Amino acid sequence: MLLDFARLGPWRVALILIALLVGAYLLLPILLIIALSFGSSQWLQFPPPGWTLRWYEELFEDPEWIASFLTSFKIAAVVTVLSVGIGLMASFGLTRGTFRGREALRALFLTPMILPVVVLAVALYAFFLRLHLNGTFFGFVLAHLVIALPFSIIAISNALERFDRDIETAAIVCGASPLEAKIRVTLPGIRLGLISAAIFSFLASWDEVVIAIFMASPDLQTLPVRIYGTLRQDLSPVIAAVSTLLIALTAGLMALAAFFRKDARS
Amino acid sequence: MTVTDVPIATPSPVLAAARRRGRGLAPVLPALALIVVVFVIPVLALLLRSVLEPEPGLQNYAAFFASTTYLKVLGNTFLVAGTVTVATVLLGFPVAWFLAIAPSFWSRLLFAIVILSMWTNLLARTYAWMVLLQRTGIINRTLMEIGLISEPLPLINNLVGVTIGMTYIMLPFMILPLHATIRSIDPAIFQAASLCGASRFQAFTRVMLPLTASGIAAGALMVFVMSLGYFITPALLGGTSNMMLAELIAQLVQSLLDWGLAGAAALVLLVITLAIYMVQLRFFGFGQARG
Amino acid sequence: MTFLEISNISKTFGKVAAVNDVSLEITQGEFVTFLGPSGSGKSTTLYMIAGFFEPTAGDVRLEGRSILAEPSNKRNIGMVFQRYTLFPHLSVAENVAFPLRVRRRPAGEIARKVEEMLALVRLESFADRMPAQLSGGQQQRVALARALAYNPPLLLMDEPLSALDKKLREEIQDEIRRIHRQTGVTILYVTHDQEEALSLSDRIALFNQGRIEQLGKGRELYDAPRTRFVADFIGHSNFIDCAITRSEGGSADIVLPDGGTLNGISLHGAAVAGARAGLMIRPDRLRFSPLGEGAEPGIDAVLTDATFIGETYHVVLATGWGASVNVRIPASRIRPQDLTMGTHVRLHWEAGDARLFGQ
Ligand SMILES: Nc1ncnc2c1ncn2[C@@H]1O[C@H](COP(=O)(O)OP(=O)(O)OP(=O)(O)O)[C@@H](O)[C@H]1O
Ligand SMILES: [Mg+2]
Repeated sequence: MLLDFARLGPWRVALILIALLVGAYLLLPILLIIALSFGSSQWLQFPPPGWTLRWYEELFEDPEWIASFLTSFKIAAVVTVLSVGIGLMASFGLTRGTFRGREALRALFLTPMILPVVVLAVALYAFFLRLHLNGTFFGFVLAHLVIALPFSIIAISNALERFDRDIETAAIVCGASPLEAKIRVTLPGIRLGLISAAIFSFLASWDEVVIAIFMASPDLQTLPVRIYGTLRQDLSPVIAAVSTLLIALTAGLMALAAFFRKDARS
Repeated sequence: MTVTDVPIATPSPVLAAARRRGRGLAPVLPALALIVVVFVIPVLALLLRSVLEPEPGLQNYAAFFASTTYLKVLGNTFLVAGTVTVATVLLGFPVAWFLAIAPSFWSRLLFAIVILSMWTNLLARTYAWMVLLQRTGIINRTLMEIGLISEPLPLINNLVGVTIGMTYIMLPFMILPLHATIRSIDPAIFQAASLCGASRFQAFTRVMLPLTASGIAAGALMVFVMSLGYFITPALLGGTSNMMLAELIAQLVQSLLDWGLAGAAALVLLVITLAIYMVQLRFFGFGQARG
Repeated sequence: MTFLEISNISKTFGKVAAVNDVSLEITQGEFVTFLGPSGSGKSTTLYMIAGFFEPTAGDVRLEGRSILAEPSNKRNIGMVFQRYTLFPHLSVAENVAFPLRVRRRPAGEIARKVEEMLALVRLESFADRMPAQLSGGQQQRVALARALAYNPPLLLMDEPLSALDKKLREEIQDEIRRIHRQTGVTILYVTHDQEEALSLSDRIALFNQGRIEQLGKGRELYDAPRTRFVADFIGHSNFIDCAITRSEGGSADIVLPDGGTLNGISLHGAAVAGARAGLMIRPDRLRFSPLGEGAEPGIDAVLTDATFIGETYHVVLATGWGASVNVRIPASRIRPQDLTMGTHVRLHWEAGDARLFGQ
C-alpha cells in the first residue's frame, strides 16, 4: 500500500505537493540563472525587461575570462589523464594485489574525498609556499589530482571488481601475454569505469574552487576563482552567462555518461 | 588472511595464482607517493603547526576554546549543519519516496532534476541564491508586492541565507541514498501489513520508518559532516559577523596569518569529521559513505 | 605412444592438499574425463596443465617435453571455462579470431580459419553477433571454436556445460562428441556429472580427495570398481554390512548380521578375518523369488515398497536385521501381483556380481 502510488490515498496528494515543491526548489534557481543571462537588466530584474546577448559578448571579449577558462580547461584535462592513469594502476593493485594493508591503503586514497576541503586547501597553501608552487600550473595539477584521484579509484575499482577475471585468463590461454590480455580484453571490459573516472576527474578539477582560491595568483586564475572573485564584488549578469555555460557543460557531460550507460545495457 | 574480501563463487584460477602474498604493490606506488606528498605531509604539517607555533605547547587550543568568538563560530557551525540536516531529511524523505514509486515519467523527470542540480557548478548555484535572496531580490520583491511584508526581509549575509543555500546544495546527498533504501523494500511487506490490519499511518510508523531508519541515519550523518566543513556557500551567503568554522580557518590564514590557531581550528574540524565518519563506518559500512 | 604424461603432480594450498600425487598417461586423440565430487582436485589438476598453478611437485610432459617452465600463453593449449568467458566487447567472429590475431597471423588466414571454426560449431550465421546476444549454449560453442582456432594439440574443458539446462547440455554433448571425432583433438574434460562423463569419454579418471581413485573405461568403473568410493560414485549400489570370517587372496567368506554366511566373494582392499566389510551388489543385478525356491547365494527379506518408474520397477526390501536393499527389475520380467507388500522373498544374485569392500 505505501509503495503503491495508486493506492496511497490522501497521502498521495501530500507526496505530490512536496515533490513539486522540492522539484521547483531544485530547478528554479538553475532556470533563473539561464533566464538572467539573456536578460537585459544590469540589476538582474526578473522577469527581465528585455532580452540580449550582451553578457555573453562581454564575457567572450574579456581576455581575462577567456584566459581563466583556458587555464581551467588545461588543468582539468591534464588532471583527467593523470587521474585515470594513476587511478587505473592503483585500482589494479588494490583489487588484485595481495600485499598487507590493502584495505587501509584504499581508505587512505579515499580520505581526500571526505576531508573538509578547506583543511586541505590551507595545508597545501602552506606547503606550496615553501616549494614555490602556489600560482603555478604544476601546483594546480598536483592539488586537483589529489581531489580527483578518489573518484577515479572508486569508479575503476568497481568496474575491475565486477569484471570476471576468467575472461582475462581466457585471453592468456589463447596466447596473449598478460600485458596484451589486459590491454586488449580487460581495459575494453572496464571501459565504462574508465569513462566515468574521466568524467568525474574532469569535473572534480573543473569545479574545484576552495583550493584554487588559495593557490591562485593574479596571473594564473581558474574559472571558479574568477567567478568567486567577481561574486565578492558584485552580482554582475556576466556571471549568469558564465554559469549558464557551465550548466550546459555539466548537462552535456551527464548526457554523455547516461549515453554510455545505456550503450552498455544494449 | 588477505583474500577474505574477494567476492568469487568458484575459485578463479588467476586470482588464486595471485594469492601468493605481497604481490601487486608496485602499481599502487604512484598513487601512494602522490597522496603522501601532496596530502598526508601537508595536512600533518599544518596540524603540527598548531602545537609548534608561535611556540611549542597547547596554547592555541587553549585560546580557541577560551574565546567566545571562536566558540560562537563552532556553535554557528553546529547550528547550521544541524538545521540543514533536519531540513534535508524532512524534504528529502518524501521526495525519495516519490521517486521510488511515482509513474516512471514523473520520477525520471524529478530524478534528472536532482542529478542536474547536484552536478551544476557550486558557484553557479550559490550565485543563483545570492540573486534570489538579496534585499531587492525576487523573493523579497514578490513578498512585498503581494503585501505579506512591508520591509525587505534580511535573507542574506546571515545564517538564514547560509541555511537556505546549504539545504539546497545538500538535498541531493540525502535524496539519492534514501531513494536506494526505499527502492530496496519489497512492496509485498505493506500488503502483509495491511492484511494484518495496520492502517496507513501504522504501516508508516511501524514498517516504513524502521525499514528506512538506517538509510536516513546514513544520509543524515553524511549531510551533517559535509555541512560542517563547507566553505564557499557560507562565505558568499553568510555575513562577516556570523562565520562558520571553515571560513574561520581560511580567515586565520589569509587575513591574520595565524598559522598556529588555524592549525588548531583545522584539527578541531578534522576530529569532529573523522569521529562522525567512524560512527558511519561502524554502523553502515564504507560503501554508503558517499551514496 | 604417450602424448600427455602427468607424473606424480601435487598441489598444496597452505595446508590443504588439493591434488595429491596424481599420475596419468594419455594418448593422442583420446577423450579423458576427470570425474569426482566437488573439491576433489579436478580443476586444480587441469589448471596445473594449463599453467595457472605451479605444481608443488611432479611434472607435466606434452609430446615428451616438460611444459611446466612455459607460461600459460606459450603452452598453446586450448581451454573452455565453466563460466562464460567470451570477450564481451568483441563480436563472435572477432572472439574466434583473437588467438590468431595475438599470434599475428595474416588476415586471409584468420578469415578462413574463423569461417572454418564457426562452421565446425554450426554458428556461421552468428559471426557478427555480440556475446550478450547469444544464449548460454551458443556462447560455449563460440568458446569452443575460439579454443580450437589455433589447432591446439590439447583441449581442456572445465565443466563447460554446468551452467546450462539439461536438454541443452545433452545437445551440446553431442556437438562435443562430433567435434572430437572430426578434429581428433585430445580432450581433457572435467565434470561432476557421471552421465556426462560416461557418454563422452574414452576413459574416466575418478577423483577423490586429491587422488585418482580409479582410471579406466566407463564400463570398467561400473563393472569392476576397485574401491567402495568408486562403486558408490558410479551408478547405484547396495552396501550390506557384514563381517569377514576368512580372507585369502582376492576372496573372502563373510557372516551377515542375522548369522547367515556367504562364501568366496571377491574382496577388494585389505581386510583380515574379523574386520567389518561392505557387500556391494548393484540394484539391477539383484533378483528375488518366493521363499523356498532356494537360490544360492541369498538373503531372506520382506518386500516393503515397489514403485513403477517407467520400464523398470524400483523395489525396496528389508532384511531380517532391518537394513534396506534396493532392487531394479525390468517391468517385463515381473507381474504386479508378485509385488505385494509384506511378501517374504529370497534375494539372490550371480556369484560374480557381488563384491566385498574392506572398511
Ligand atoms: N586457489 C586456491 N586456494 C586455496 N585452496 C584452493 C584453491 N583452489 C582450490 N582450492 C582447494 O583445493 C581443493 C580442490 O579444489 P578444485 O577446485 O580442484 O576442486 P574440483 O574438483 O574442481 O571441485 P568442483 O567440482 O567444485 O569444481 C578444494 O578443497 C579447494 O577448496
Ligand atoms: Mg572445479
